[in-house]
Amino acid sequence: MRLWELFRLFFRLGWTFGAGTAMTALLQDELVRKRRMVTRSEFMNVYGLARIVPSGSTTAIAVAFGHRFGGLLGTVVALVAMILPAFTLTVLLTIGREQLQGTPAFPLLNLTIMPAALAIVIVSTWNLAQEFFHPSVELLLAACAAIGILVFGISPPLLLVAGGLVGAFTVRERRTRGKRTEGTKRSGEGEGAEQTA
Amino acid sequence: MLGSLMVASLSSFGNGTVMAAVLQRSFVQDARVLTNDQLLFAFALARVTPGQSNLYIASIGYMMFGWAGSILSMLAIILPSYLMLPMLGGYQRLRTLSAVPRFTRGLASTAVGILMATTWNLSKDSLDPPVTWVVLTVALGLMIFTRLPTIVSLALATALGVAIVLAVPGAAGSVPL
Repeated sequence: MRLWELFRLFFRLGWTFGAGTAMTALLQDELVRKRRMVTRSEFMNVYGLARIVPSGSTTAIAVAFGHRFGGLLGTVVALVAMILPAFTLTVLLTIGREQLQGTPAFPLLNLTIMPAALAIVIVSTWNLAQEFFHPSVELLLAACAAIGILVFGISPPLLLVAGGLVGAFTVRERRTRGKRTEGTKRSGEGEGAEQTA
Repeated sequence: MLGSLMVASLSSFGNGTVMAAVLQRSFVQDARVLTNDQLLFAFALARVTPGQSNLYIASIGYMMFGWAGSILSMLAIILPSYLMLPMLGGYQRLRTLSAVPRFTRGLASTAVGILMATTWNLSKDSLDPPVTWVVLTVALGLMIFTRLPTIVSLALATALGVAIVLAVPGAAGSVPL
């Protein structure tokens, strides 16, 4: 794939609504079904690995396929193309907000958009939390983390690493329909978390 | 700024919602370089813009250091993803390690606790005048009980809030308009 084609593919991806899940589905459709440049198995292997890279899964996938089709330069092209639409719109909207400061519309913005945005946070949190609301090590970890933040003021990154390490030794394997599976879903999975919100 | 954003991105595995919790602590509570309102605004942008859900940190970067800050903030998203390259080489070994999904599960459940605490912290500051409670309730109702896209729920709740502020005396509380 030429670099320009790579740019066009990921730029189109960057305009997708529905966060990482929708973007990944679109990319799979393009690369596996339409262009037949990657097998489904290869794509799923990359996707599975992207879910455990400590970055957003979509950017990890962009690096993987950018490298495959264009080397290191391909990774830069894929990433820039993918983030450009959202980046531009985000900054422009932020500039718009700052322009409103000092005008009568600004306090109105805080009174209305902020509580609506808070609702998004609440729904996102609830959607993530549902999976852990049963007696388990995971529920205990969640409770300890909340107490750690509210009562002891412990740093969130420290809590996250500690929680991951404790989970590595204590979380039990989940059995699904007689098939042994690990709890592979993570809240760090931007796709799943945001999609359900 | 870049260091804090990098820590937030790495520790939250790039998840936009979890990052907000980490950033609330770093930038709002500890460093006091952002307000909760600014953070919530940036977070809301993730819902009205295309692409992945963690790019709202470009807004945070802009609020702090203008265009340079917004571009630098993207490094916090982009750089960790290059870990994919060495990991692609060791993928077969990683697949067999049962500790890996257990680690991510522990991470996920811890993140839920952090999010709950952060939601409480954000709520304390954002909900004061009566109209904020109405907007919150309507937005929650629309998101939970309807199939409307989030952006539409956001817009409808906001529009209702504006209408209430303009029509009902005292709805804005002590906030000067």
